[in-house]
Amino acid sequence: MGQADADDVVTLTDVRKTYDLGGTVQALGGVSLSLPRGSYTAVMGPSGSGKSTLLNLVGGLDTPSEGRVTVGGRDLSTATEAERAAIRGSRVGFVFQTFNLMPRLTAVENVAMPLVFDGWDRSRRRERARELLSEVGLGNRLDHKPTELSGGQRQRVAIARALAPDPELILADEPTGNVDTETGERIMGLLGDLHADGHTILLVTHERRIAERAERIVHVRDGVVERTEELID
Amino acid sequence: MDPRESFTIAARSIRSHKLRSALTVIGVVIGIASVVAFATFGASVESEIVGSISDSGANNVYVLGQPADEEGFEQALQPVFTEYDIARLSEIPGVEAVIPRGSIPANSVTHRGETVSIQGATATTPAAVTNETLVAGRSFRSGADETVLNRAAAETTFEGNVTVGDEITVRRTDETWNLTVVGVVNGTAGELPVGNFGPQPQFYVPADPYYQAVVESPGANARQRAYPQLTVVAVPAETLAVTERVETYLREESDARHLAPSGVDLVARTSGDFAEQISDVIQQITRFVTGIAVIALVVGAIGIANIMLVSVTERTREIGIMKAVGARNRDVMELFLLEATLLGAVGAVLGLPLGLAVGWAATRYAEVGFAFAPYWSALAVLVGVLVGVVAGLYPAWRAARVDPIDALRYE
Repeated sequence: MGQADADDVVTLTDVRKTYDLGGTVQALGGVSLSLPRGSYTAVMGPSGSGKSTLLNLVGGLDTPSEGRVTVGGRDLSTATEAERAAIRGSRVGFVFQTFNLMPRLTAVENVAMPLVFDGWDRSRRRERARELLSEVGLGNRLDHKPTELSGGQRQRVAIARALAPDPELILADEPTGNVDTETGERIMGLLGDLHADGHTILLVTHERRIAERAERIVHVRDGVVERTEELID
Repeated sequence: MDPRESFTIAARSIRSHKLRSALTVIGVVIGIASVVAFATFGASVESEIVGSISDSGANNVYVLGQPADEEGFEQALQPVFTEYDIARLSEIPGVEAVIPRGSIPANSVTHRGETVSIQGATATTPAAVTNETLVAGRSFRSGADETVLNRAAAETTFEGNVTVGDEITVRRTDETWNLTVVGVVNGTAGELPVGNFGPQPQFYVPADPYYQAVVESPGANARQRAYPQLTVVAVPAETLAVTERVETYLREESDARHLAPSGVDLVARTSGDFAEQISDVIQQITRFVTGIAVIALVVGAIGIANIMLVSVTERTREIGIMKAVGARNRDVMELFLLEATLLGAVGAVLGLPLGLAVGWAATRYAEVGFAFAPYWSALAVLVGVLVGVVAGLYPAWRAARVDPIDALRYE
């Protein structure tokens, strides 16, 4: 861990993140981690442990105060805002606990949205979005708006959206947090399928049961990696 | 990002708030419409007046004294142009006629027992009445007890119409004239174009014998009648050259240069000069009034800015989502700017015809011809778009700066 490997999709090298909220708050205090291509990693920890900060850094939503974060060989700490946006749009796919779909857009439009910013032309965007929605079992819900879909369906739209630009990495932040257990199972099954298809997945959760679906669990507490647990299927 | 997609997204977000978008657009519509209405009306009035001036005697050269510090139409009233000057001006090549004009104070006019008060009568020469302007009768003769009325005097001053052949009595402080009406005119040749606007009643009488302003002429070495204003009628093709010759005469040889008090310039003006001056005045007024209308446009712009700021706050989470899936700050900025611009453009497109309609109605009301200026249309749309852009800049910048992490947490 922490050793740069050509086949690592993500590497974090002694990453620190502090926030200035009146006083200095340390969210991450020196984290090193690498995600090999095709791996399935769960980051587990109680709330306030820094696991969301870790996810935001890897996803290019945030920049580290110190240390290096590389995604697909690209160092995010030196990237400009526009470059980080491009990385978010093409190399990383986010799946959020609260789905975060655009309320006024249909399922197809939501899935196609990352491709808008990635410069795909309209007909290819739509075609790709339809394909992906069919893959997640929503081929009959293409033109529904989020309000017309159930929680599980919304999360599947979100997963299809994350897959749209064919990213190197899928980041899932408590993806089952807002759905019932049975739906959560199906979402986790879908992520498992994606992993089986060769996608690299980083999952953030506070539930052991969910984390156990991964190949390994990185335990985070108070902004540092406490231990890494390799799971054998 | 794909402009068509930006447009779709911006249009959709406008449509999703129909009422408030409509109200915002109305603000811009009112602003653009008032600017267009006032500007159109001003342009119409200007073209009407300038047109009427240019129609009436493009070959007239108006000779008058003017206070040196005045522009425009301020006219010195001292009688400085003598009969000697008139005779000399008539000899200038290209001059067809020289028509003097002087006013005679009078108190009242009586026609068939009905008496109305008047300011005075206008003394001139028979040549002022031409066939083009005569409505009935003929011109008066010099030395005769005759008068010519304009239509306002003949038709609206007394209960009954004054017709050719009637007798009228003009009373002055110290004398009374009994005159025979020999003609009715619609204006006279060589009239100053600025005097034409209101149909004021006019009574024209022959300068000989009624005009009594007399001065010692240095040129003729004799006492002569002198007038405050002359009109030189030029051969049309030579108007400009005649103007120059007249000015040279005034400056170098005239009686008037001796008689004019200091501080009074002797000037020769063509109707084109007057048209230009009137245009300037009307344009200044139009600019001033349009400037006031611009305030409405500014209020409209503030409306856009206001609603866009609300929109940015409401859609903070959406901005976060867009950024998470790859939108650059520039893309977000573009979207909000486009939305504001659309509001402005729609306002302009609706405000333009409304403004033209109001401007047209105003020209009907003021009884002037409608002058449509096509560049105003283009300008109105452009201004609307600009208003949208300017009003959208700050909200769009705020939107672009939204921190995606905070935004995604935002409820």
